[in-house]
Amino acid sequence: MNVVGRRTLTVIALVALAIVGALTAEWWLSQSPDRPFGHTQAGHVLGWAGLLLMLLVLAYPFRKRHTPGQRWSKSLFQVHIVGGLVGHLLILLHAGAHLHALIPVLAMLAMGLVVVSGIVGQVLHALAFRTMNEQRRLLLHQGLPEPEVEARLQALAKQEETFRLWQVIHGPLTVTFVALAMLHIGGALYYGGF
Amino acid sequence: MTWPPPFSMYPVLLTATLVLIIGLGWASARDPESFWAPGDLSVHHAGRMSCTQCHEPFRGATTANCIACHADATFISQPDSPPQIFHRQAARERARCLTCHTEHRGTTARITTDPLNPHSEFIFRVTGTQSCRDCHAGVQKPGPKYGLLNNDAVRRLVAKGKGAHGPGRFADCFRCHAGGRTGAERGS
Repeated sequence: MNVVGRRTLTVIALVALAIVGALTAEWWLSQSPDRPFGHTQAGHVLGWAGLLLMLLVLAYPFRKRHTPGQRWSKSLFQVHIVGGLVGHLLILLHAGAHLHALIPVLAMLAMGLVVVSGIVGQVLHALAFRTMNEQRRLLLHQGLPEPEVEARLQALAKQEETFRLWQVIHGPLTVTFVALAMLHIGGALYYGGF
Repeated sequence: MTWPPPFSMYPVLLTATLVLIIGLGWASARDPESFWAPGDLSVHHAGRMSCTQCHEPFRGATTANCIACHADATFISQPDSPPQIFHRQAARERARCLTCHTEHRGTTARITTDPLNPHSEFIFRVTGTQSCRDCHAGVQKPGPKYGLLNNDAVRRLVAKGKGAHGPGRFADCFRCHAGGRTGAERGS
């Protein structure tokens, strides 16, 4: 198995562990006979914190979309990845495994699909980087000047279809999740009050 | 196909979104509990209440809505018993019902979260008693023996359960009688 494959498995294992940990922690926090953790003040605060982190995650795609000429922002990308995982983990801690109302259940499902597709996207991203670096080494080895190499790599990147296809899945899933999350928050505030 | 979608797709997407929102609104109005409630209502309220009878928009369940059915006058007119005495005091102090009561925790769940009665309403159903005083003397504060009387109701309950209903074991019925069933869980 190559490096990317091993890293993918490690990420999947860590995410699975984090999910089990969050659900176990929520179960333990809900042992009070009063109410599930998600309905306590602390549970609500976690929900809001998770939402804020997930909104922060949108900074990276927004920057990519609206300032395409600028250099790729590695730090914003890392915020996107870390925020995407931690934010969703906080939401999992807020919600637990209490599945009753349709809207929050659908929001949770959409959130899970967004996270899974995000991990797939990171694998594709890593593979694309490796491919590009290998091409760069090859072209430089062939004696091509640096500007020519960059131009060819740009052309190669524009033809990359797999990542484009992935965007068609990850983008709409994210929109769906945000819409369902907003519906859940609206419903909770309408019926539960501030 | 690309992301974001081209402008030509926007009318289709907007129409689909509108249809979805209208469908959601219609289905939600017909059965709001399935879409929004965090759990089933208890037997005390299930099938009798609509959401807005307890919940005010953006204010949650309010004491005023509880009192619309569970009027102050009810507690005053009932004969003396610890719950009645407690609720008369709570009404005088304008205490919030939600401090001690909750809902949406399931059909057989307790709706009193900080009970003077740790057995919940289950104990009255299984013993045929009507109030705390049918088994306890002078109940005001919880304690291990809680002024247990030596009468028929208490002796019948102790005799059931094959020794499980011993001193210090009465408090939490649902530890063995999950879901409010009179039969105990195996191994409990």
